[in-house]
Amino acid sequence: MSTLARLEDEWHDEIPVARLQGEVDASNVKEMGDRLRSLLSNRSVALVVDLSQTTYLDSAGINMLFALADELRGRQQRLCLVVAETSPIARMVTLTGLDQAIAVRATLADALSEVGAGGE
Amino acid sequence: MEGATSALRGSGARQALAELQKVTDAALAHLTLDDLLTELLHRIVEILHTDTAAFLLMDEEAGVVAARAAKGIEEEVEQGVRIPLGRGFAGRVAAERRPIVLPDVDHADVLNPILREKGICSLLGVPLLVEGRVLGVLHVGTLTPREFTTFDVDLLQLAADRAALAIDHARLYEEEREARVRAERSAEMLQSVQRVTDAALAYLSIDDLLDELLVRTRDILHADTAAILMLERDGRMLRARAAKGIEEEVEQGVRIPVGGGFAGRVAAERRPVVIADVDHSNVLNPILREKGIRSLLGVPLLVEGRVLGVLHVGSLTLRDFTPHDRDLLQLAGDRAALAIDHAEMYEQRRVAEALQRTLLPQEIVGIAGMEIAARYLPAAPATSLGGDWYDVFPLTGGCVGIAVGDVVGRGLPAAALMAQLRTALRAYAFDGHPPSEVVDRLNRILAYLSPATMTTATYMVLDPEREILHMVNAGHPPPVVISPDGDAYYLPTTGGVALGASRASRYHEEACPLPSGSTIVVYTDGVVEVGGESLDDGLERLRRIAARVRGGVEELCDTVIEEMVVDGRPSDDVAILAAYIAPLGERLLTRWPARAEALASIRHLLRRWLRHQGATDDEIYDVTVACQEACANAVEHAYAPGDEAFEVEAVRVDDGVEISVRDGGQWRRARGTHRGRGMPMMEALMDSVHVQHTAEGTVVVLRRTLGRERAA
Repeated sequence: MSTLARLEDEWHDEIPVARLQGEVDASNVKEMGDRLRSLLSNRSVALVVDLSQTTYLDSAGINMLFALADELRGRQQRLCLVVAETSPIARMVTLTGLDQAIAVRATLADALSEVGAGGE
Repeated sequence: MEGATSALRGSGARQALAELQKVTDAALAHLTLDDLLTELLHRIVEILHTDTAAFLLMDEEAGVVAARAAKGIEEEVEQGVRIPLGRGFAGRVAAERRPIVLPDVDHADVLNPILREKGICSLLGVPLLVEGRVLGVLHVGTLTPREFTTFDVDLLQLAADRAALAIDHARLYEEEREARVRAERSAEMLQSVQRVTDAALAYLSIDDLLDELLVRTRDILHADTAAILMLERDGRMLRARAAKGIEEEVEQGVRIPVGGGFAGRVAAERRPVVIADVDHSNVLNPILREKGIRSLLGVPLLVEGRVLGVLHVGSLTLRDFTPHDRDLLQLAGDRAALAIDHAEMYEQRRVAEALQRTLLPQEIVGIAGMEIAARYLPAAPATSLGGDWYDVFPLTGGCVGIAVGDVVGRGLPAAALMAQLRTALRAYAFDGHPPSEVVDRLNRILAYLSPATMTTATYMVLDPEREILHMVNAGHPPPVVISPDGDAYYLPTTGGVALGASRASRYHEEACPLPSGSTIVVYTDGVVEVGGESLDDGLERLRRIAARVRGGVEELCDTVIEEMVVDGRPSDDVAILAAYIAPLGERLLTRWPARAEALASIRHLLRRWLRHQGATDDEIYDVTVACQEACANAVEHAYAPGDEAFEVEAVRVDDGVEISVRDGGQWRRARGTHRGRGMPMMEALMDSVHVQHTAEGTVVVLRRTLGRERAA
């Protein structure tokens, strides 16, 4: 198990929210991707990945998120990211065009309303 | 002697000697000393044609020679003639250790009245010598005047030499035999008991040891059964632990209250108990009755006044156990108790040491840009193991967790608790809790794991990039810091109470600057509490060593152990850990294994270097990501199996930094749907990116200006 990053999850109705804390690089990206996928069920309409406490994310992580978005899209599910506006992660997301491919919001509340979780 | 030898070549002399020799050889085998001496005198009188002959043997304590055997003057022996050394005829021979001839005996020369009364005219005496020791005197006499020749003197001296050897042997043999007879009874007893302890010395497990002890005890006492009951922890019950001839005791887990029944009485009264005729009233244990045991003898197993248990033997026929049996069983019990005590201590210690070895980090994790060393030295074997521990582990962001603690108490329970706390601390730290929260939680879980136990601990998170240390102290001795210029000082701690002191304790974090080039040293109190020295003196001694040693953390740990721990093995456990933050220069050149696991270390080290170069947070992030893309390419694409390493070099150039990543493989075009973002990212993040392919491999050179707004 990698100690670089931790994944905490919480549920808003049927929508899983994964809070990714720490660093994601080539050494732990597969493990993180697998754990994100494991949060989804057939009833999930979306997955929210909260990157506000992510301290490092490079192309390995960006690629994983692109791939995850493709998979979800194929199952009529949505991927939404929470990225603080001024964080270095936001620049990576913009730089790679990830924000063009999937919804990126500055707060969890915004992300939840984006994917239609009630009352948040 | 040459004269004597030539003289002895004369006729008859050889035959005479041969006769003498026969006597002494035979003597060694069969005769008692007195018979031997009598036989010798008989031959000597015959060979030398004298009228008398006598042996006087030395009594060194009394300073005399005493008549022991005589021929022709038997009265000497009967009257117990004793001649002081140096006086009279025989006394002079003994004192002067040489032959003396008296051709014409007169009153002035001879003290012994018997010689005068017998009318002896001439005397020849020689000393009995063995290895320079005078054993006595042999003398011959004639009733008519005689000139003893050199031949006579030599012959008598030769006879005396042989006699002396034979006497010496016979004496030794007799003394030995006497001693043997005397010792036989006690030796038999001791040997039989010794056999019991042979088993213990072989480091058997406790169960094997007890089995062996019982077999031997039963043999020694010719008993039918033997059993050991051990006192339970609460001191109220005895439980059958091992048995011979009544194995059911153990199988059925027989328990006897202290004070009740036979074994219970032995334990309560702490003395041997004999039951000559077993009946229901004096024995609680049904198995003893069912087996038909008629007589019992039991002794307490005592060590330093503590009752460990009871050893008893039983007989299927009525038997009067004698006081001798009782003493023997008590002796066996005493030795057994010691052996059990040792084996228990040994086993506990072995388990605890194994546990401690397993749980202390076997190898200190390698953290790039830091040097870390640690030592753990268990206490001297006589005392049991303590609960000292330390731990080092990498955390996210290049931080390093360092913990040290000392569980109060000893032995297996302390070691086990240490293990639990260490694991709990790691788990809380990996869960991302800040240091104060980690220690708060540790305090709470200690109250749950072991409510009455206290333990001191220090937990710190070292951030080499920001050159800061976040420390929480719970009653533990303060860490030592060695500054880059070599000063050593103790970190001031606000002194949180020991863990376990109060559930309500809240622990606070202190932040201390720790610039590159500093060393931080944590340790347990065994390091500073050295035999009789005050704590202040111990702390000062440690501080001085820290300020003096210049050879790095390994040498520092070794020196502290050598100088602070007297006699190699400390009286308390000793743990010490030292971590040095290596300064990073203007040029950073590092070599890495081509594995994804290296990426985080490279990143953390590069971040440190970039911050040292004055880069802003955003600049650090950009350069780090770009460098990682190049490194990830080196790891992922560039290598054929078997290739092992790549190099990262960072240098300061003009107004910025230049990072080169060199590998030994061939660049491969990215494949797959969501790959190939690395190159565009590098280009977007850096001012320039150059990729050079050579026969040796690939070099990626990244450049970035620092300290100015970049065009978007």
